[in-house]
Amino acid sequence: MFVSMSGYSLWNPVIWLVVFVIMMVVVYLFRGRGQEQYKRGTEQTRVFLSGEEVPGPEQVNIRAHNIYWGFFETLKKYYQVLVEPHTGIINDYVIWLVLVTALGAVTLFLAG
Amino acid sequence: MSNLILHSPILIIAIPLLVAFLIPLVGRASEKARDTLVIAALVFVEFLVILLARDVFVNGIHVYTLGAVNATLAVPEQFIVPVRIILEVDSMSIFMGLITATISLAAVIYSIAFMKKETGRNNFYTLLMLLVVGMFGMEFTGDMFNLFVFLEVASIAGASLAAFRIRFTDSAEGGLKYVVLSTIAGLIVLFAIGLLYAQYNALNMAAIANVIQYTALDKIALILLIGAFVLKLGGVPLHMWTPDTYAVAPAGITAMLVAASQASMYALFRTCFTIYGGALNMMTVGWIIIILGILSMFIGVTMALPQTDVKRLMAYHAISQSGYMLLGVGVGLAVLGNPEALNTYGITAMIGGIFHIMNHALYKGLLFLTAGAMFYVTGTRDLNKMGGLAHKMKFTTVFFIIGALSIAGIPPFNGFASKILIYESVYQFSPILSIIAMVVSILTLASFAKAYNSAFMGPELPQYKNVREVPKAMIAGMAVLATVIVFFSLCPGLIIDWLVEPAANALVNQGSYINAIMGAVVP
Repeated sequence: MFVSMSGYSLWNPVIWLVVFVIMMVVVYLFRGRGQEQYKRGTEQTRVFLSGEEVPGPEQVNIRAHNIYWGFFETLKKYYQVLVEPHTGIINDYVIWLVLVTALGAVTLFLAG
Repeated sequence: MSNLILHSPILIIAIPLLVAFLIPLVGRASEKARDTLVIAALVFVEFLVILLARDVFVNGIHVYTLGAVNATLAVPEQFIVPVRIILEVDSMSIFMGLITATISLAAVIYSIAFMKKETGRNNFYTLLMLLVVGMFGMEFTGDMFNLFVFLEVASIAGASLAAFRIRFTDSAEGGLKYVVLSTIAGLIVLFAIGLLYAQYNALNMAAIANVIQYTALDKIALILLIGAFVLKLGGVPLHMWTPDTYAVAPAGITAMLVAASQASMYALFRTCFTIYGGALNMMTVGWIIIILGILSMFIGVTMALPQTDVKRLMAYHAISQSGYMLLGVGVGLAVLGNPEALNTYGITAMIGGIFHIMNHALYKGLLFLTAGAMFYVTGTRDLNKMGGLAHKMKFTTVFFIIGALSIAGIPPFNGFASKILIYESVYQFSPILSIIAMVVSILTLASFAKAYNSAFMGPELPQYKNVREVPKAMIAGMAVLATVIVFFSLCPGLIIDWLVEPAANALVNQGSYINAIMGAVVP
């Protein structure tokens, strides 16, 4: 019921969950040994920005287009090639269908 | 009860069809009665599908002949080919039927609240039920021409639903692209069916499979069918309509369009395995499917990463996940003529790919519903404009996390259970393919980490200070799918033994499918 076999290994989510719960308990116990003077909602929990005024939530939020900026900058050329065929024009989509079908037919006749 | 099971294949198609045309009448009298009718019909259909599934797993293939004195008699006396409309439900068909029934029910429950502010809801539910009819018809039919008819029903209903919220300018564009490309795909399918009919004088799948010679015309028909179905399922490089259409459709409908795409994938597998499986060396066809799968996986996920429209991001992931299914089943197809390889890893790859069809329908359906919930409260799909929603939308946040971890293949979720089967078995076929699949999973996790961070994390934004969690009906729709995901995650062995393995065996065992129809024919 719980176990799935791939022929090379087995996967049992119940064992995984038991291990996960044990780890969580260990983390909770470890956390309990932390700083006891911590108080929520006081100066202790305010963001410290080298003494500067902390900007409002709109500036603090990391926007989607900023995430993985370095990844996209590095792969700029790959993305240029990849985005180019996505023209949004139906005629182009149909040309791709014709190309794929023709290529498939040639492959099937030569190799099949 | 036995009569109900006997007639269940046609009832599963006929009940939504009847309800579709009752909706405008009932809706005029009372909106509440209409909503109740739609949900009650789909609950009953789900019940029938479960009954039929049990019957198929216990008694084998269920054949239903329309208009025959005896509904199980496929070929009339003194005939050598089946001539009536025949529904043939094997383990693979009913596997797909279970997906369609569950996703449709969750989508309708969700749409009751999601579409409340829209006008023309009688038309909406009529089209929705017709989409359900089209999907079930594609999955249950044993006849190529009826496959085309139901493909058209699903395409027209799907396009109309995608363009339903006509006040958004991009809705019409998404619907138009879907209907134009679906029509072209449909015509190609019809042409391919014509090629087969011209040679074999038969439209029944089992009858064609019984006599197919694999002539040059058959090869042309096969590649036309592959091209058309890959376009309909959104495989790269024929995927470009997918983000345009999925992004603009109402959220419940997007979840159903994912299921409709998977019905096209079923048609692809049925064509390759059942009609052509015994007639040719499938290594070349298998590799064509594998290459399309790898392209879909990698290009889909890398296109998803830079998206800032949450539904376009998810649509590209739908393309990427389809690649896993094509890869797993493609490997099974490639080694179909090699019994040793098929038994060693081919069948496991197919089990992984088929299990992933169901898992994907569930978690992608759930993710699209959460995207709809975000749009419902913020009025935008732009992740750049969202943030801090977890403060107010606790249920939606939890559902998003479940869906995101599942699609990324993080244990113990069901996405992991199917991906591990694909990784390990495909590795035996070609290690590089398996490694690409793992890299794609990492990129999937990165993409959903970005979406989660942008939409739900961070401090509460001033413009969303007054937002509330979505209505209960929307939460209920998401909860249905989340519950099934958790169940599948905890009991993968049960699902594989009862649903997935019989479905994979049904595809491989072409003889049983043919015999169920042609067994009674005396040559």
